[in-house]
Amino acid sequence: MNGGEILDAVRASAAEALAIPAGDVTPGSALVDDLGAESIDLLDMLFRLERKTGVKIKAAELRTFITGGMPPEVFADADGRVSDKAYAHLVTVMPQLGPETRALEATKVINRLTVQNVADLLSTRLAGAAG
Amino acid sequence: MQVGVDLVEVARVSRLLDENPGIDRSIFTEAELDYCRGTKHAGDRLAARFAAKEAILKAFGTGITDGLSPADLEIVRSPGGRPTVRLLGAARDWAAEHGLVEIEISLSHSGGMALAQAIAIFRPD
Repeated sequence: MNGGEILDAVRASAAEALAIPAGDVTPGSALVDDLGAESIDLLDMLFRLERKTGVKIKAAELRTFITGGMPPEVFADADGRVSDKAYAHLVTVMPQLGPETRALEATKVINRLTVQNVADLLSTRLAGAAG
Repeated sequence: MQVGVDLVEVARVSRLLDENPGIDRSIFTEAELDYCRGTKHAGDRLAARFAAKEAILKAFGTGITDGLSPADLEIVRSPGGRPTVRLLGAARDWAAEHGLVEIEISLSHSGGMALAQAIAIFRPD
């Protein structure tokens, strides 16, 4: 699958899970903050995505993608906000995030995960499988 | 002590299960599926159990993206009819690590909605 096909698969899966028109789902749509996805919708989307691509992404992998595997006390600073180390990682995996991200509660970053971010995660997994 | 509540549309859970063949076993245990599907109101009961799993995760202060699978939280109907929780796999490990002492849950469904509340009691630090 090329990048466009992967993105289309994520957009279609999100639209089907949320029962909204595919045209309402853009690469920059944040699944939770923009599209209102709840955990049941994320489970639904990931299962549909697996059927379309053959790649199983567990819900927990979304969190790991965001945190880079950092434990919560490293990802968040003493006030529970995004730490400097976390921000340095986030700009590489969620490049749409700006400096205002530093003011976010660390546990809320996942709400900013976009369709494109999931497509990027899927691309990485597919590349790993091919390699 | 931490509390979690979840409310879900019965139709939303039914659509999740109907449109994703096989997903039922990643959310529910075999015993839950056998019990619910052997009753007249399977959709209501499965939705109530889905809500219970979400409520428990909220009471734990975690979510589906934190590594605990809904299928690791089994809702068991005690002989008196009261629902209880059996922890399996990663949930059992999580409970031991975090000093969980007890979980109490309550389920309800009416008017196409299913509701669950969970109370998790932890050992004091």
